Amino acid sequence: MRKGLLVLAVLAVVATACAPKSSTATSAAAGDCTPDTMNLHTPGQLTIATGNPAYKPWYGGESVPDSDWKSGKYTGDPHTGDGYESAFAYALAEQLGFTTDQVTWLGIPFGKSFAPGPKDFDFAMQQISITPQRAKAVDFSDGYYDVNQALIADNGSPAIGVTTLAGLKDLKLGAPVGTTSLQVIQDEIQPNVEPGVYPDLDTALKDLHNGQLDGVVVDFPDAFYGYADQIVGQFPQLSSGQEQFGLAFEKGNPFIPCVNEAIATLQSNGTLKQLDNQWLETDASVPVFS
Amino acid sequence: MAQSGPGPNVYFPPGGESDPRMPPGSGDRWPKILGGRDANARNVWVAVASTVIFFGFLAIVVVRSPGWPAIKESFFNGAEFHASFPVILQKFVRNIFIFCIAEVLVLILALFIAVLRSLPGPVFTPLRIMAAAYTDLFRGVPTILVIFLLGYGMPALELQGIPDSDYLWGILALTLVYSAYVAEVYRAGIQSVHPSQVAAARSLGLSRWQSMRHVVLPQAVRRVIPPLLNDFIGLQKDSALVFVLGVVDALGQAQIIQQGDFNFTPFVALSLIFIAITIPQARFVDWLIARDQRKRQSSAV
Repeated sequence: MRKGLLVLAVLAVVATACAPKSSTATSAAAGDCTPDTMNLHTPGQLTIATGNPAYKPWYGGESVPDSDWKSGKYTGDPHTGDGYESAFAYALAEQLGFTTDQVTWLGIPFGKSFAPGPKDFDFAMQQISITPQRAKAVDFSDGYYDVNQALIADNGSPAIGVTTLAGLKDLKLGAPVGTTSLQVIQDEIQPNVEPGVYPDLDTALKDLHNGQLDGVVVDFPDAFYGYADQIVGQFPQLSSGQEQFGLAFEKGNPFIPCVNEAIATLQSNGTLKQLDNQWLETDASVPVFS
Repeated sequence: MAQSGPGPNVYFPPGGESDPRMPPGSGDRWPKILGGRDANARNVWVAVASTVIFFGFLAIVVVRSPGWPAIKESFFNGAEFHASFPVILQKFVRNIFIFCIAEVLVLILALFIAVLRSLPGPVFTPLRIMAAAYTDLFRGVPTILVIFLLGYGMPALELQGIPDSDYLWGILALTLVYSAYVAEVYRAGIQSVHPSQVAAARSLGLSRWQSMRHVVLPQAVRRVIPPLLNDFIGLQKDSALVFVLGVVDALGQAQIIQQGDFNFTPFVALSLIFIAITIPQARFVDWLIARDQRKRQSSAV
């Protein structure tokens, strides 16, 4: 029994010794917005997290050598600076005083962008919609893109030609999990048929092409990327207000004011508008569901 | 015949649970969790004290760690739990539906494969090869890949008469994978029946099939019930994988809430549901094994 006690005590001591890892968030005074003084995950590097695969039109181009990302028909490589978010990231980095070489990309599953604890990146950029609920877990930057939702479908689907939200109620629609697209189906359409919910856009599209879905709801700019035969229509503004994408930071990250300042500059000098025109198609003639 | 369980000639001593050769209080040969090998009052007291101190200490270390408030907020969030638990539980009915059907199909398909693989005689070589290839293939491919391949591949064939239900393909994929495991479990049971019993049955005039059906299988199946239930617990947990096909099961529902609210509490809620259904089964398996052991001990007296 003496020995047993000893073992227990040693175990307990080991547990204490390894448990209290000191918090990594060192405070940098707000306003110190140069790469040398900013609170960064890796000093001198801007580490940006996004999903892998990274989808067009947000990420494009041919993948660069040694990249974890492989560009394909629907996917791109964040390193290229092609696609709205990739181009925005490099414009933001430049505004903050980083060179192109100082931008590091990290591929993460979506859940890691909001998991508690120290993050291994400075912020996540993955078409993340800002909501009050989510803001309890992460701190968002100001919005960098105003987004609407649209419905796409293949030829022959009963969704083709529908012009009202009520007309969509009896259709089998789908969307990736955790997206505003799914919220639109649930809250704005309130369908009689249970929507299909998928781990990612890719799997939702496969079921669309297999004929198991009548339509898929996507971010409006995604609708132009040939994911399906037709754009059925776009959704009116959400009842909760204009949806915006924001960058997700660890709670309390002192880096955020610097980023917000940079986003405001990119907004006022017309860069965001220009990126929008360059990388995202929008077509005002797409009918809005009534 | 001693190993074959209770028969008409097996003597059960009254109060057969206690073996006079064992120390008092030890129903089976392994130390009880509480109190170690021999559980008298003092030992139980020491066990309780040591347990309380040890886990209490661990709990204090965890709760006082710098990250605990953040962990509590995103994994053990009371409001989030209250909101998500009923919704997830409701969707768990779909998991139950999926694994119940799959379990029945597995029992049948696996037995069929095990019998094929256990067929004697050179004529049956192709069947044995097929059965072996089947188990090799489906034990080798990760379950989630089988689900992906069937769930997205088969409907894309657009063949007449091939249904496109995600449930169907999910259940079928689980059935195929787990039948491979369970077939091996059955086969182990079949091989554990001594060949002399088949010889005896054959000498009594039973055909090969009859001796398999009436002599080998009843004993084999009874013996493999514990490992078989273990595989079923695995199958029940893997029913959550069907979510990748777009079936909104309990995991799908948990993930919808998790990614909508950026909070992981729904995953904890779902884990509790899974634990609540698997622990009773695990204890049931323990009980079956203990009962089997007692029977063997008492029949060996």
